[in-house]
Amino acid sequence: MLDVPSEALTFDLNGERVSLHVDPAARLTQVVRDVAGLTGTKVGCDAGDCGACTVLVDGAPVCGCLMLAGQVEGRSVTTIEGLERECDTAARLKESFARHGAAQCGICTPGMMVSAAALLEEVEHPTEQQVLDAIGGVLCRCTGYRKIVAAVMDAGRTRSADGAVAEPLDAEGPVGRRFERLDGARKIDGTELFGADAWPADTLLLRAVRSPHHRARFSFGDLDAFVAANPGIERVFTAADVPGENRFGVIPPLADQPVFAVGETRFRGEAVAAVVGRPSAIAALDLKSFPVVWEELPAHVTLDQALAEDAHRVHEGRAGNILVRGHVERGDADGALAGAAVTAEGEFETGFVEHAYIEPEAGFAQRVGDRIEISACTQSPYMDRDDTAKILGIAPEAVRIIPTAVGGGFGSKLDLSVQPFIAVAAWHLNKPVRMVYSRPESIATTTKRHPARIRAKVGADASGRLVGMAFDGDFNTGAYSSWGPTVANRVPVHASGPYFMPNYRARTRAVHTNLVPAGAFRGFGVPQASVAQEQLYDELADKLGMDRLEFRILNALTDDLPTVTGQVLGEGVGFRKCLEALRPHWKRARSEAEAFNAKASGALRRGVGVAGMWYGCGNTSLANPSTIRAGLKPDGRIALHQGAVDIGQGSNTVIPQIFAEALGAPLSVLDVLSADTDITPDCGKTSASRQTFVTGKAAELAGRAMRAQILRLANAGEDARISFKGGKVAVEENGRSRTVNPAALAVDALGYVLSVEETFDPPTTPLDSKGQGSPYAVYGFGAHMAELEVDVELGTVKVLKITAAHDLGRAINPMLVEGQIEGGVAQGLGLALMEEFIPGRGENLHDYLIPSAGDMPPVESIIIEDPSPVGPFGAKGIGEQALIPTAPAILNAIHDAVGVRIRRVPATPDRVRAAILAGTR
Amino acid sequence: MKASAFDYARPASVREALELLGRHGDAAKLIAGGQSLVPALNLRLLAPEILIDLGGLADLRGITVEGATVRIGAMTRHADLLGSPVIAEKLPLVAAAMPHIAHPAIRNRGTIGGNLAHADPASELPAVMQAIDAVIVVRDASGERRIAARDFFTGIYETALRDGEMIVAVEAPVAAKDERIFFHEFSRRSGDYAIVGLAARATGSGNALADLRLAYFSVGDKATLAERAAAVLGAGPVDATRLAAAQAALAEDLSPQDDQQASGSTRLHLSRVVLARAIAVLTGDASLAGRATA
Repeated sequence: MLDVPSEALTFDLNGERVSLHVDPAARLTQVVRDVAGLTGTKVGCDAGDCGACTVLVDGAPVCGCLMLAGQVEGRSVTTIEGLERECDTAARLKESFARHGAAQCGICTPGMMVSAAALLEEVEHPTEQQVLDAIGGVLCRCTGYRKIVAAVMDAGRTRSADGAVAEPLDAEGPVGRRFERLDGARKIDGTELFGADAWPADTLLLRAVRSPHHRARFSFGDLDAFVAANPGIERVFTAADVPGENRFGVIPPLADQPVFAVGETRFRGEAVAAVVGRPSAIAALDLKSFPVVWEELPAHVTLDQALAEDAHRVHEGRAGNILVRGHVERGDADGALAGAAVTAEGEFETGFVEHAYIEPEAGFAQRVGDRIEISACTQSPYMDRDDTAKILGIAPEAVRIIPTAVGGGFGSKLDLSVQPFIAVAAWHLNKPVRMVYSRPESIATTTKRHPARIRAKVGADASGRLVGMAFDGDFNTGAYSSWGPTVANRVPVHASGPYFMPNYRARTRAVHTNLVPAGAFRGFGVPQASVAQEQLYDELADKLGMDRLEFRILNALTDDLPTVTGQVLGEGVGFRKCLEALRPHWKRARSEAEAFNAKASGALRRGVGVAGMWYGCGNTSLANPSTIRAGLKPDGRIALHQGAVDIGQGSNTVIPQIFAEALGAPLSVLDVLSADTDITPDCGKTSASRQTFVTGKAAELAGRAMRAQILRLANAGEDARISFKGGKVAVEENGRSRTVNPAALAVDALGYVLSVEETFDPPTTPLDSKGQGSPYAVYGFGAHMAELEVDVELGTVKVLKITAAHDLGRAINPMLVEGQIEGGVAQGLGLALMEEFIPGRGENLHDYLIPSAGDMPPVESIIIEDPSPVGPFGAKGIGEQALIPTAPAILNAIHDAVGVRIRRVPATPDRVRAAILAGTR
Repeated sequence: MKASAFDYARPASVREALELLGRHGDAAKLIAGGQSLVPALNLRLLAPEILIDLGGLADLRGITVEGATVRIGAMTRHADLLGSPVIAEKLPLVAAAMPHIAHPAIRNRGTIGGNLAHADPASELPAVMQAIDAVIVVRDASGERRIAARDFFTGIYETALRDGEMIVAVEAPVAAKDERIFFHEFSRRSGDYAIVGLAARATGSGNALADLRLAYFSVGDKATLAERAAAVLGAGPVDATRLAAAQAALAEDLSPQDDQQASGSTRLHLSRVVLARAIAVLTGDASLAGRATA
């Protein structure tokens, strides 16, 4: 990777003296990763903002990306790989991280471990504040930090507020137990391989040439001369080199995004070419020298510009720049609102939100004969396969997608990023080609949460029952379709919230602009809608003189009431139970806040807010099957082909738990094969809170089918007990035991003596012209309560506690459920208070703020289990559900504290104070 | 992306470092801890031809007390200052500011000399140095020059350093027996850059504040002493009226900028809020806090 100088650099690396011929001006991260091959040290930003690269130098934590090789001459460097050898506390810390579920995706975990170990070496029994300080510079986007803090304190033999830990893995009856993640150890010791962590020898490196303007015409100069003038550059690729269709998109009929733009770019950061060559040549290349001439064109950077009558069309054929419209209507909304005793209405705005996973997109592709293999981080291997096949003009089966570990996804890694570039280059060059996004590239060019502009009006009768709602939402979908249609269609189904709303009209539009494509982000537009709906419900309750929680309980959807699409769920509507579970907390928090405010003489005021949510699991009225395969091997173990990509949420653990439970065996008999399109059947995409529900159901069916086959072989009845021991399968029934010896049985083409494959596709119905039908088989429900403090002089908000009640039917693994809830709360807090991406500005992690450890309040999770009749063992989804109610609960609490409504998020100090000054009481 | 290729030198003495600096001029960049320089190199915002690493200059590290003066070598790290009992005793305002500077990993590398030479307007130390009336000691091949901290910072990332000069030390008077201090910053994220910060100190007792210095940071293009406000507050016993006049005077003292994190008007407002909170602490009169004008 690096140019090799004559003088060797000598230092101690994980306790051993090394002499390496490296450029003294190389970064320490490059030395340990690319030269020493220790990829446990992660690179998230190259700017000292994320802390993922934290290593110890002479025992003190430093950012590896901010230290030059020359600066470690003669010093001692410890990475995650050597932590246990160098720090006495590291072993205890590893064990504690595992038992507490402190690692989710695992990309920040090495940085956390190293920082925490350094603290424990100094301070035997740290306080919570000391832990927060020690990990304060390491960003995590998955966990919400609380389990990390608990794990560090536990390792330091002290206790944080959060105490519960995992159970041993060999427990029987795996569903409902707090198991450690099955893939946890390799995340904690740094051996997990993410997109940027492994590549074949002699892999070429690729960098994209991208538009500096929101919209521009462009033309190339002499590309051959450019290649000739730059030794080590093998080739430049442009649209002319795309063998198949120069177009991709997650919704094939609307696919509109080119691999390389042709003639004109539609957003800042859009690629027009790729340069491929020897890694050292590519790394040293200054792309300013690339021969391209830009002519900036007028661009739509706001919704209003795009919606103006004479606006240019971002895409021919999409009149008015409308990508799609969504619509759900029931009863007579206008009539009901006209007759309502009280109404509340308002306009609400949200901005672009960046996913800010700590792992920038990365991977490599290699051609294997007439096939292409792509190893990259992704949430959707089969969709990647099909789109890549179209781009290369080959059959889908000729593409193999091998997802690496994914260092956070949250929706954005559903879309292609590096894949088209490396696939096209590797296909032509017949050499492996690798690409790693820089942090600015990742932020500037990958999909974002849709900015929304929402106008909504709700009404209730004098008894406090909701009578009607009218909702209009415009969603800025950016330059390409991505998941814009999904957002536009999902929002109208959800914008009422989980309440009985007899008269309803919700209309949405996804509007093209010349900005970065907006796509999927945890909630697909529902978090934006809930910011409007839940604030308006508070206003209605206030106008009615009702308690805000009791108003929600009164109007809560129940098993036998129809949703706004006319669907009667029949059972498993646990929303009311969530609200009722909050009641004692609500009373306690309200009286505490009241007492605080009565005594307050300074600038601080406390407030309490509540908000509800629902979220349909899986695709909206579309098929989205998952298939699970399993086989009994001759060695008596069970292979589980688990194709649900684990992006940190835990499907590598939860799906095996479900399968094992259905089989009637402990988890320890399973050999889990994770997603690979050549090995695992299609389990769909990791999105829409569908994996536990849909793939989990397929796993349950597969586990039961395997059980049935074993019982049949042993000629035993359904109640027999199966156990696996010493390569044999014992089946006990009524005190008699029969033994099956798999080694003595014939194997099938897959090498299994017994094989099963089961598919589940949730039952839904299409929505009619008024949006009526059954779009989802299962909804998850929940409600959050926020307690916070507003400084009325500063406009700052400090969240003190979130109490989160979620009905998820059945908690397959309560520890992972808590992890999802705490992580969702952290992202909801960011949405409410901190995060807004402005294209062209702040494409880094110090201007774009995500919560750090010190911003995260304690979270009390309350798990409600109102079983779904469809889901595996009654389970529903939790991934997106956990985020949706946090922001509106916080906004409602701000109103409770200081009497102002924040209708535009994030609620920055500027906006909160402006609202206080304006006195919008 | 890799930082563009450059030469790297690691001089063994200040003299050698200055020689290299003299020889390469603008093409050279000094690197101390590198915590601001390396990100700029990584993002190719800077492309020096040669980096001169000061990490080997042991005589630039350390904290000494000479009579009534504390001398801090330019290569002394933030972590050294944070853990120093001498600093805690002799320069309590510096000690109070240290935990606010970035995070442990940055403090373990970043140095006081590098920080001051970088002159980030959002950084704490340029303000603290002005509040404690420090002197920045700089050297070039021809000798040393001493620059008052208040004259050292000239603009965004700009200082009074001349070509061929480097910071070798900072000297500050030992805090007075009756020294009273205040340090606070408002940030949008825990542990993050301030959107407004204030380092303040005074002597005297009760509502009489002598030698009051109010050094703001992250307000405007450089750390700034609010001299008009300090003069108003120093003219007589501080009461609500005087405080309000000082808050008004901040409009003259400060030139707050608009950016992604806060508007200029919010920054001015926050500067007034933090002034009231500072004065309440410095005078011991809690009733003065919370007197922010709209």
